[in-house]
Amino acid sequence: MIWDIFSIIIFPGLFGAIIIGLLYEGLGRKITARMQHRRGPPIHQPFFDWIKTMTKENITPKAGNSFLMTLCPIVSLAAAVSAILFVPILGLPAIVFEGNIFVFLYFLLISVVFVAVAGFATGSPFGIIGSSREIIQIISYELPFIISLITLGFLTGFQITPFTAVYFPFTIFGFMLGIMGKLGLPPFHIPEAEQEIVAGPMTEFTGPRLGIFQLSHAALLWVLVSSATVMLFGGGTIIEFFIKSVIILLVLMFIKNIFSRAKINQAFKFYWLVVMPLVLIDLVRVLTGFMVG
Amino acid sequence: MSNFCLPFGPQHPGLVEPIHVKLEVEGEKVIGYDIKFGYSHRGIEKSLEKRQWIKGIFLAERVCGICSHCHTLAITQGIETLANIQPTGRSEYIRVVMAELERLHSHLLTLGVCFHEIGFGTIFQYMFRDREIPMELLELISGNRVNYGMNIPGGVRRDIENHKVKIIMQKLDKLEGRFDYYLKLLEKDIIVKKRTQNVGVLSKKDAIKLGATGPVRRASGISTDFRKTGPGAYGDLSFYAVTENGCDVHSRLLVRTKECEASISLIREALRNMPEGDINKKVPPIMNIEKGRETISRVEAQRGELIYYLRSNGMMPYRIKIKTPTYANYVPLGEMLKGSLISDVPITVASLDPCVTCADRMTVVKNGKEKIYTKEELKRL
Repeated sequence: MIWDIFSIIIFPGLFGAIIIGLLYEGLGRKITARMQHRRGPPIHQPFFDWIKTMTKENITPKAGNSFLMTLCPIVSLAAAVSAILFVPILGLPAIVFEGNIFVFLYFLLISVVFVAVAGFATGSPFGIIGSSREIIQIISYELPFIISLITLGFLTGFQITPFTAVYFPFTIFGFMLGIMGKLGLPPFHIPEAEQEIVAGPMTEFTGPRLGIFQLSHAALLWVLVSSATVMLFGGGTIIEFFIKSVIILLVLMFIKNIFSRAKINQAFKFYWLVVMPLVLIDLVRVLTGFMVG
Repeated sequence: MSNFCLPFGPQHPGLVEPIHVKLEVEGEKVIGYDIKFGYSHRGIEKSLEKRQWIKGIFLAERVCGICSHCHTLAITQGIETLANIQPTGRSEYIRVVMAELERLHSHLLTLGVCFHEIGFGTIFQYMFRDREIPMELLELISGNRVNYGMNIPGGVRRDIENHKVKIIMQKLDKLEGRFDYYLKLLEKDIIVKKRTQNVGVLSKKDAIKLGATGPVRRASGISTDFRKTGPGAYGDLSFYAVTENGCDVHSRLLVRTKECEASISLIREALRNMPEGDINKKVPPIMNIEKGRETISRVEAQRGELIYYLRSNGMMPYRIKIKTPTYANYVPLGEMLKGSLISDVPITVASLDPCVTCADRMTVVKNGKEKIYTKEELKRL
């Protein structure tokens, strides 16, 4: 009982997810700056940003729905934190039952969908266009992501357990691209395209509401990177785990900095016509038992 | 999805200067547009009429921070024509070097902004880093990074000495390698190509009909470059106009990149062939030009053809009319935006290299409504 509460609130739950997520974000910004020949902010900069955001006031636009605008960030954060409870990190006990992979998927989806709902709730044209893009993007990357998770599910008995998926490169490919879609990393930062639609769904958000969205994004980063470490690369001890997850972060940041933004129709085509057949190859391989292991 | 209006500016992260592009959108598709400006009108044309000729050059430099040399060049050439002054040979070469260095830093800025608009932050940072090289060279020659204060009637104010020539040559070699890289990037990178090819198309016919100018015109396959006709020292140098036939944003970027390479070779040639001699002539600071004399002075600025119309009123100008290239390119912008997606709008606008404040014109608003003056009313003013 005490252990449950500890895991929900301290680690890997709420506080752990937020702190490590924000640190990862800071690390990502540092790597980006280094790649762009800049000095970059210190790694703990996202904490300062967050504190500053939290001290500002909440503003609801005339066309906005105040209730929904408050609800969305909280649900988004709660869903992202709940998802981490299903991932066995560092051998800590997680919520284990057959089929928890689907619950994990649902929580991840809820976290992202509520970002889109938030954009619609603001009533701003930028928010609405951003949200509709977010929804289209979810439709694009979600199916390849689900298929790659199901492939892993067949191998692990539909439970999230440490597993090394080196023999299934396309599954890794689909999973990583799903992560990039969910986090909105380039070339898929289409919903938040600042040059086109300001900040997309986040345009009208200010103060604590925006702060909680920042936390939710950080928690999502932590969940996705750590689940990739566990489910694709076998997790391991505390040092192994963090080395692996930082390497994944490095790869993500590297990809982030060598691409420009795609258009939403191009992203859709890419996920459905390029990624989908590749992840299906791995699924068929697993189902037929062809060249497995 | 129903139609709604998406304001693109006057305050928008995709824009540096205030311009208001009102977009009527249906989902992601642009079906209507309206461009409005007048947010940063400064009344420079009017205040030029209240200054003596030499002081006017100082003010004309402040029209634009990016093409400041071209503005002074245009007004100086105009004054020289009015007062029958021939600039010295060496000064004309120095003017070419300054103009081409300025073109380099301006094009690097534009290309960087264009990459920023399609979400390519890394190349944006690279371009701004490389932009420091021409900026440093300009500082080396003139002592300033933005407003150089080089042109005066009869020549220039600062010389390029031999030891400076050596430094310029070295730095240009470094810069040239960078442009090879950018050219390769533009030709090879899949996503950049997908984002820019067949976007913001302006056909050759429309470019002529709507009067596009500068790199926008040259990217539509029309070889119009005022430098070709050889004003100043350009006639003695081996200049060629860069053109592309793609008619889209991609070819505009290519034209700018290739123009930079052409500029580098022009600077090298100008520095090698620079004749010895004085850099300026003794011209009285207070000039008295015969009343009623008028002239048109043209300069190929980075964004296109810059036109100054000057009419004398003795000690001061009677009227100076500035036509900046951006102003000419606003009309084709409407044609380019037709039927594009929202994601294409920022890159299309940026591909014009708009200098909003230079091209800003006044809007008269009375009782909350815009008033359009007729010809007779304007005469009465």
